Amino acid sequence: MKKKLFCLMLVLIAILIPSGVIMAKEPHDVRLVDEAGLLSGDEQEKIRGKLDSVSEKQKFEIVIVTMDSIGASYPEDFADDYYDYHNYGYNDSRDGILLLVSMEDRDWHISTTGYGVTAVTDAGIEYLSDRFLPDLSNGNYAAAFDTFIDDCDRFVTHARNDKPYDEGNMPKTYNALLIVGGSVLAGLIIAIIVVSVFMGQLKSVRARKTAAEYIVTGSMKVEDSRDIYLYSNVTKRARPKQTSSSSSGGGSRTHRSSSGRSHGGGGGKF
Amino acid sequence: MSDQIEYKCPNCGGAIAFDTAVQNVKCPFCDTEFELEALKKYDEDLKMTSPDNMNWDTAMGGEWNADERDAVRVYMCESCGGEVVGDAVMAASKCPFCDNPIIVKGMLAGELKPDYVIPFKLDKKAAIEGMSKHLKGKKLLPKVFKSQNHIDEVRGIYVPFWLFDADANAHIRYKATKIHTWSDSDYNYTQTKYFSVYRSGNLSFARVPADGSQKMDDEMMESIEPYNFEEAVPFQTAYLAGYLADKYDVSEEENIDRVNKRIKSSTEKSFASTVTGYSSVMTEDSNISLSGTNASYALYPVWILNTTWKGEKYTFAMNGQTGKFVGNLPLDKGSLIKWLLGVWGGVSAAAVALISLGWYLL
Repeated sequence: MKKKLFCLMLVLIAILIPSGVIMAKEPHDVRLVDEAGLLSGDEQEKIRGKLDSVSEKQKFEIVIVTMDSIGASYPEDFADDYYDYHNYGYNDSRDGILLLVSMEDRDWHISTTGYGVTAVTDAGIEYLSDRFLPDLSNGNYAAAFDTFIDDCDRFVTHARNDKPYDEGNMPKTYNALLIVGGSVLAGLIIAIIVVSVFMGQLKSVRARKTAAEYIVTGSMKVEDSRDIYLYSNVTKRARPKQTSSSSSGGGSRTHRSSSGRSHGGGGGKF
Repeated sequence: MSDQIEYKCPNCGGAIAFDTAVQNVKCPFCDTEFELEALKKYDEDLKMTSPDNMNWDTAMGGEWNADERDAVRVYMCESCGGEVVGDAVMAASKCPFCDNPIIVKGMLAGELKPDYVIPFKLDKKAAIEGMSKHLKGKKLLPKVFKSQNHIDEVRGIYVPFWLFDADANAHIRYKATKIHTWSDSDYNYTQTKYFSVYRSGNLSFARVPADGSQKMDDEMMESIEPYNFEEAVPFQTAYLAGYLADKYDVSEEENIDRVNKRIKSSTEKSFASTVTGYSSVMTEDSNISLSGTNASYALYPVWILNTTWKGEKYTFAMNGQTGKFVGNLPLDKGSLIKWLLGVWGGVSAAAVALISLGWYLL
């Protein structure tokens, strides 16, 4: 009898697991939902693997959702609700970030929750989108998502170890053109200076413009000296504006979703 | 009681007419504001402007006496016409300028006798050593120049110099500025205060040299300056033994312009060094007059080295007293390009590598 009861329990558990009842306690729903079918099978596998490994390593949920259409919803509401009702997020604060891509109106939206609001500020979202938008617009979805995951990883690491990237404290981008161009220019200037010094070595015959060596020591006497202040003028130049951080103080603006949970985020078109 | 005066605006030069009853005035053209007192004083200084008076009174004595006349001879080069003075016992020699034989022309007649001579202190060996030192460390000198160029001739020549003494009386007006910067939350401010600075005074110059030989390049002779006049002695024909002395063929009057320029710019600079506490100082007007002028005639020792390379003549000169060695050298265009491209490429690559390395490590 005991054995039968045990078997029944096993069957019950087997039924309940996929239904999501237990999911309520175990937060890790599938982290890549490609409803719009933007990724090939290989790409899906790769992105999913990366989402899982980074999320688990950071204890921070990174989710990517693509939709053909989100109906009449606003991207913000859709992204927030998707995150809330699929029980994403680590810890009680439901730490994580979700990137929604909707093909119908070419919307993208990032929703942050819990520690995500802290780690990825408004300025951070702007930075992230600047990095993945070119690929997203060009249809290189896998590359865009790959960049997004890497950047999230970097942001969370930085926020945990130091402080969150925020205005005035953004990761600097490696601008190859600027660095190579600057180096070549600096190299040319230094080369010209070096060569001019060497050329100067060859010339030693120069006219003398002064007779300083022949001034009788101590012969100089100043008889009359007057310093008259004439006039002055003042020019003013606008200081380079510090980005709005000084006024907004950086950080994230948050709002409440339909579930009552607080989210940060931002989005746009691609 | 007030009256109408007109001044020139120190900023834009426009005419400012104003009433003496008010204290501050504004230029109607450039809107600059002035204090009346300052403007008055500035106007007084402006009126003191007068031309330079740099005339020289250079009566020189020094005739040769009979014994001296016997001891020296004038030699002439048949090829270039150069005339030099040497002692009477000198054997046949070559022209120091063009390397051709020179012949005895005769006794000195009418020329001035040098007042002073600085005897040769460095010998021919030192001159040759000076040459090889001069070629060292010159990165863009053709490598073969050292080996292929041979010194055609090394000659010690007494070069005639006119030495000018004068007391300069200077009245100089400088325009000076003080710059002060500050900022508030929106703007950076730069205030420039303009001052008119006046200095007058005296400054003495002793024995400013100018070479009196046409054959000697003026710039080259100025380049081996200065000589230490403390070692000069009254001229005696005995110092000529073994050396040639160039005969002066540029009179002291012809050198006055060059000397005046040097004295004027040195005077302006010396008095400018008393204008302190400013961000910038520019000479606006200077009036210099000379008094106590005197010129003397001296022989200074110079080693001249002539070399030929690839059909071109290169002349070097060494101060026979201090050893200062000068002479322009040829440029190796090939190694110029090599150095330019090499440094350019090297520095650029190193900079890119360093920045990139730093990027990935930090």
